[in-house]
Amino acid sequence: MRKPLLYILLGLASLATVVPLLYMVSLSLQTEAETLSADAVLVPDSPQWGNYAELFTRAPFGNFIVNSLVVAGAITLAHLLFDPLVGYVFAKFRFPLRNTLFVALLATLMVPFFVRMIPLYVLMATMGWLDTYQGLITPFLMDAFGIFLMRQFIQPIPDDLISAARIDGASELRIYRSVILPQTRPALAVLGLFTFVFQWNEFLWPLVATTTPEMRTIPVGLTLFNQEYFTLWHLTAAGSVILFVPTAVLFVFTQRYFVRGIALTGIK
Amino acid sequence: MTMLRPRTLSGRYARTAYLFLIPAILFFAAFFYLPIGNVTATSLRTGPQADQWAGLGNYTQALADPAVRHSFLVTVIFSVLVVIGSIVLGLALALALDQPLKGRVVFRVLLLVPYLTSVAIVGLLWRNILDPELGVLNRVLGAAGLPEQTWLNTSPLLTIAAVTLWQSVGYTMVLFLAGLQGIPETYHEAAKIDGADPWHRFWRITLPLLAPTTLFVSVMAVISGLQAFGQAYIITNGGPGDATDLSVFHIFNVAFRARDFGYSSAQSVLLLVVIVAFTLVQLRAGRRGEVTY
Repeated sequence: MRKPLLYILLGLASLATVVPLLYMVSLSLQTEAETLSADAVLVPDSPQWGNYAELFTRAPFGNFIVNSLVVAGAITLAHLLFDPLVGYVFAKFRFPLRNTLFVALLATLMVPFFVRMIPLYVLMATMGWLDTYQGLITPFLMDAFGIFLMRQFIQPIPDDLISAARIDGASELRIYRSVILPQTRPALAVLGLFTFVFQWNEFLWPLVATTTPEMRTIPVGLTLFNQEYFTLWHLTAAGSVILFVPTAVLFVFTQRYFVRGIALTGIK
Repeated sequence: MTMLRPRTLSGRYARTAYLFLIPAILFFAAFFYLPIGNVTATSLRTGPQADQWAGLGNYTQALADPAVRHSFLVTVIFSVLVVIGSIVLGLALALALDQPLKGRVVFRVLLLVPYLTSVAIVGLLWRNILDPELGVLNRVLGAAGLPEQTWLNTSPLLTIAAVTLWQSVGYTMVLFLAGLQGIPETYHEAAKIDGADPWHRFWRITLPLLAPTTLFVSVMAVISGLQAFGQAYIITNGGPGDATDLSVFHIFNVAFRARDFGYSSAQSVLLLVVIVAFTLVQLRAGRRGEVTY
């Protein structure tokens, strides 16, 4: 294909992804009248920064932000703590039932979240964990994909390094912390970024596991806000921008890791 | 001295291994295997507390229930639309980006941005754009004197599939790009020397050698399509009528609006069986047709 044609194709596709998001930003700065005017407003006359402040008076949006940060942050930390440790064990240790446990772990990859949704709701209700951080966090503390990724990454590290450290008398935990973990930094970066972005955006479980507005995360709080005030599109758009900006900023600075991470998922 | 006691040593490492594994074993038991056991147990019960034995009653009821069958059909059509779109658009964009162009990184970033947004943003934004009365698209079309659209009423399933693609196509593009970069340049060089035109090279070299990537993309797209929820919850509320009553949305409503945990559990087990069967069949088919370089 000729180059100008390729530029046109990619240019149009990029416009299609970016223009709606730019419109979202524009909408968040419009007056209510502008959002409804027959002549669609694409660039507001005077940006209404006050919309962002108004959002916080109409809904506990500060809570939403804190909740999202706590939940996504805690889950990300848990993944960074556990996924490489479990991956290391499956990469470098021989022990009874190793293959059985590994297959049992990989089998969980085939269990979509909706299957766990109802029993987890019942479990959390029984324990009184609905509407709590532990209820939102615990179902996602680890996952087989992250463990598998770390195992693949740790496997090529030479066994000699571990043996040498053992001969030097290092404890097993010390070997993991000082020999293995430092070598996994690129993989940890990918794992941390993906986990944070996915949990920041997670919708179904926070919708199911929260009942009071104060415990909602941003995606859920925003959607239910929109159901309640469905004509106040400028405020919904302002909330969407708040939800979007952290992931967008993170992505711009780390897009190489993201691209590598996606490509990794495609490699068998 | 340690050399003389290999048995004790390996025993010690096994103990370390299990010590390191304790949190993971507890987690996956409590939050995966226990829930799977519980959802199966609940699916065999009925009543508002899901405490009366129903045997396979929920299953036979679900299989005969027109609403369940309809929502499954809707979900399959939705998934097929998303798969076809992912492959065609994702591959087209990847082929374009695989050329030595200026600004490739910028295009890649722009095309990937929607993938990072929450389904809440995607859903709310597109509902605002496409709304037949208040949507910005119709106000723009109207101001330009063009006919207005009512896609969310006339072809709702196609519309939410397109919105889903808008979000996910950057992801499939990156997967295809990685696949394309794994094809050795020598094949194309040899074919060029033999006089094959780009069209033939695409069909005879690129596409067959991309088969593993295409398989992976389609498996991922089907699995995520069968689980789609937010699109129906946020954009269409399952409507108009029940036109976009996606399975997980249907299960959600039976469980948390109608409060029938037994019946909704049976439906989610059925959908799980479909997804697992489909994944295994596709992976097996892929293994048989595997290409070696």
